Amino acid sequence: MNSGPLLFLGLFAAMVFSWLGFVMEPQLQIGNLAQTNTVVVGDATSQTYPLAPSGDAHQGAEVYRANGCASCHTQMVRPAALGPDISHGWGVRRSVAEDYLFDQPVLLGSQRIGPDLANFGRRSDVIGILTRLYEPRILVPGSVMPSYRYMFEIRKIEGAKSTNALVLPDKIAPEAGYEVIPRPEARALAAYLLSLRKDGYLFEAPPPPLPKTNSAPAAAVKK
Amino acid sequence: MSATVSPARMASSNPSESSRVEMEAWCPAGLLYLMGAAAGWLAIALALGFLDSLKFHAPGLLAGSSFWTYGRVHAAQNSALLYGFGVQAALGVGLWLLCRLGRTALAGPFVVFLGALVWNTAVTIGVLAILCGDNTGFESFEMPAICAPMLFGAYLLMGICALLTFHQRQPGPLYPSQWFVVGSLFWFPWIFSTAAILLLYTPVRGVLQAEIGWWYAHNLIWIFLGFSGLASGFYFIPKLLSRPLYSRQLAVMAFWMLAFFGSCGGIPDGAPLPSWIASVGVAGTVLTAIPMIAIAINFFQTARYNLNTLDANPTLRFTYVGLFFLFIAAAQQIVGALPQVSAITSLSWFGVAQRELFVLGFFGFSMFGAIYYIIPRLLRIDPETWCPYLLSAHFYLSAVGILISYAALLVGGIGQGILLADPGHSFVDVMRGTLTPLRVSTLGDLMLLAGTVVFLANFARVVGSWCCQCCMAMGKEGK
Repeated sequence: MNSGPLLFLGLFAAMVFSWLGFVMEPQLQIGNLAQTNTVVVGDATSQTYPLAPSGDAHQGAEVYRANGCASCHTQMVRPAALGPDISHGWGVRRSVAEDYLFDQPVLLGSQRIGPDLANFGRRSDVIGILTRLYEPRILVPGSVMPSYRYMFEIRKIEGAKSTNALVLPDKIAPEAGYEVIPRPEARALAAYLLSLRKDGYLFEAPPPPLPKTNSAPAAAVKK
Repeated sequence: MSATVSPARMASSNPSESSRVEMEAWCPAGLLYLMGAAAGWLAIALALGFLDSLKFHAPGLLAGSSFWTYGRVHAAQNSALLYGFGVQAALGVGLWLLCRLGRTALAGPFVVFLGALVWNTAVTIGVLAILCGDNTGFESFEMPAICAPMLFGAYLLMGICALLTFHQRQPGPLYPSQWFVVGSLFWFPWIFSTAAILLLYTPVRGVLQAEIGWWYAHNLIWIFLGFSGLASGFYFIPKLLSRPLYSRQLAVMAFWMLAFFGSCGGIPDGAPLPSWIASVGVAGTVLTAIPMIAIAINFFQTARYNLNTLDANPTLRFTYVGLFFLFIAAAQQIVGALPQVSAITSLSWFGVAQRELFVLGFFGFSMFGAIYYIIPRLLRIDPETWCPYLLSAHFYLSAVGILISYAALLVGGIGQGILLADPGHSFVDVMRGTLTPLRVSTLGDLMLLAGTVVFLANFARVVGSWCCQCCMAMGKEGK
């Protein structure tokens, strides 16, 4: 341990060891994943999965990134054996690598100050999302989510009230004669959040097994 | 090669006291800049962290401004902490250790100064860009693509000077601190360029981005910052106790095991990746128990009969406490990596607490210990120029602040995990359960911030008195 070159050589070996394991090999294994077909469940037909997001959702992902939403929300459902995610209704199955093929950048997050959003589109609607962005404590009293008031415009009602205006309880609503209109970034963010559905059943993330019964399958009985 | 080579002997044997002073006459500007800017960025990071913490008391705070929204402030705070404080403190202390242990002058002091200037410019641009919404989205790698080449270039300027300084060292055995400094400085450009190329310029497809982001963050904190902190510990404990290091063999083993195993990890269990990746990480993390125990034995045996010197020397006090934090943080990391534990604790405040203890506790205390020792020697002034009251205030505010913040977040994280594991509790209940610990941690954040501001005041005092001395000396020469 007294030779400079040997020290560098050893460090280089350690660096390469880690790099091959955590950068190179994963790239070789899952770097070339492509769209695939979902597993057929019941009467459903197989579909291409995942689908590319719409333009709105793509813009919304940029809003999500820019405002650091990932510092409080994860987007990954752990398998049932490794965490309680599925029992909280955050997903019907664990998340797998295919789910993120169209994400750029991939914002998995690393902390859950708020709930997981991997399947938020399955359990929300656009009005709920916009109301929450304006004032989260209307729908979830005691929530610590910030208010994103800067994504909304409070403007004077001229003529008829806009159909886009938020319907707010009196305590939060602006003074009479004014209305709250979501700005384009709020609408894009809502479109993105609605697009979050990582729920196609795949070969490596199959549907839960059917409950065991003693009766013969329905199809067999028909015959 | 003797097993008991000590930095005390190495530093005092060959060159006489006067030539040592000569050696250090070269580089105050660059190193002083790095260390001062590091402390300044730490204060900025802690102030941003305090603002974020306040939002758990009043979520509507500053809601009308996109600039100060939680997510942006969080990312800006993390970048200021890791790149403003972490990398600069590590470079400042690391370069000084390379000079001192190599018994040589800093190569290219002007280049180091230039590098530090570019680095600070890049971090300033990066932090402001994050607050304006240009955030890459990867934790610990938040600064936008435009900053990456500036940061890399600035690092290379300083890194090449470090390499040349190391190269021109006096012949003789290498001391463990030199391995750790070289390892730390060598690691950064590799991981940083990997992350910049594969995340920002030619992004890999899909979830691999997240995987590389985690790997980068893990290496930045555990290897880069960790090795720098250990280098300082390995130098100052034997040096200030005037005792040889207990065992060089244990240090060799710890160094290589940490380099090989400590660099594997950071991937949360259950992530949407092939499961062997997280498993290799768990194995690597658990194996770091061996080098951590080796390091603990080494330091304990070295310092064993000298714990009464704790009060006498501020550097020793900071270094000891920093190492104490290291062992807690490492134990927590190892226990938290076990799948049975991580099913409960992963993605909760548990990990945040652990990281805070490692970066602000272990790394921060090690660096401040070193800075208290280095700056008077760099400026060739009496170490007593540090105001002892401010110094004590800095120590106690920081130590108590860290402990409050850490304990609160740890309790909050474990509580969050246990409540969440029970499907009977809704997520809103779980979140409300973590609020009290989070609000307590605000107090810790405030104390840490106050401690750093006190340090900056003391730093300004020392630099001010140095300027006065210079002016008086120049005045005398003029007469």
